[in-house]
Amino acid sequence: MMLINSVVIVLREVLEAALMVSVLLAVSRILRLDTRWLRIALVVGLGGAAIYGHFLDSVSELFEGVGQELFNALLQFSVLVFLSVAVFLIARQRGQRCDKHTFLPLVMALAVAVAVTREGAEVLIYVTGFWQMSDFLSSVGVGSFTGAAIGFSVGVLFYYLLLAVSPSRALLVSIVLLSLAASGMSAQAMGLMIQADWISVAAPLWDTSGFIAEDSLTGHLLYALIGYEASPSAIEVATYAASIAVMALSAILGRTVFAKIESDVS
Amino acid sequence: MKCLGRIAALLFLVTTANAATPVFEIEIRNHLFQPDTVIIPANTKVKLIVYNRDATPEEFESYELNREKVIMGGRKAIIFIGPLAPGEYPFFGEFNPQTALGKIIVKDGNDAD
Repeated sequence: MMLINSVVIVLREVLEAALMVSVLLAVSRILRLDTRWLRIALVVGLGGAAIYGHFLDSVSELFEGVGQELFNALLQFSVLVFLSVAVFLIARQRGQRCDKHTFLPLVMALAVAVAVTREGAEVLIYVTGFWQMSDFLSSVGVGSFTGAAIGFSVGVLFYYLLLAVSPSRALLVSIVLLSLAASGMSAQAMGLMIQADWISVAAPLWDTSGFIAEDSLTGHLLYALIGYEASPSAIEVATYAASIAVMALSAILGRTVFAKIESDVS
Repeated sequence: MKCLGRIAALLFLVTTANAATPVFEIEIRNHLFQPDTVIIPANTKVKLIVYNRDATPEEFESYELNREKVIMGGRKAIIFIGPLAPGEYPFFGEFNPQTALGKIIVKDGNDAD
């Protein structure tokens, strides 16, 4: 049974990051960017996860015992910021050619590094916490590896699906996917602020757990993809909506700025 | 930034002190919650303190309460929950979900305690 737990725990964390990485990597390929940024982002992210995981108990005790929530919320809100800049820069592209893009790889790397720090810390705490168990290799080890492998495979699948469609459509789909993922993360960040009691809430707005349970397979997948939450409060729904608006505005601004430069040139 | 953090922490302290949030405590021992059932008043925000007495880390998790928090071995965690409508809200330890199971029972004002 320990094995199945490990698969679910690691898969949940890896899936979210893997989907984001696959979309950003597909965008890089379509725009013919150097993909070296991903290697750097993963190394920085894993290093960040190791450091964060190591200091988690001290971080947790900050701010009257809610430092963990606040730090995680900060990480997730900053992913929203980096992805909104990325979407602005992606929306400026029409078709595939682009050469003057030093800034896009940087914001993509920042988004991935921060997301990996956030998701990776928990996986590292879990794996290292049960390191000394006698049957570690047969349970936690194999389970974690399987979970990571499934998450990675889903990412690879997404990557090739995006590369299979036409470049302009793939960029549009990428912008939509990044917007949904970023909004899900910022709504979760708001949830953490509520958990920390920095924001007070009334009862949840609705409850769809009878329809799609959060701990079902569909629930886990939707959580990774769009930040699915069965019983959100009004402020989480508002945060989600506001984040979608920010992402859409970034994309539209990117498009219009591009169109303006285009018309100025011609 | 440091100063701002202190002011924020202070403000936070003052607001919680004023609100007199009820406190409930739970322990984790051998991957079990003790007590595994906590009764709290309806429509009231409460402060849950979870002590992890095990050497291994645990993650307090509840889909119904929308809460998740990693608690390192030998440490404690503060988790605010509510205000909630009467009902049962299960929670579990994500790292040991077969044994670490518990629930929050929310009761109307008069029946609680």
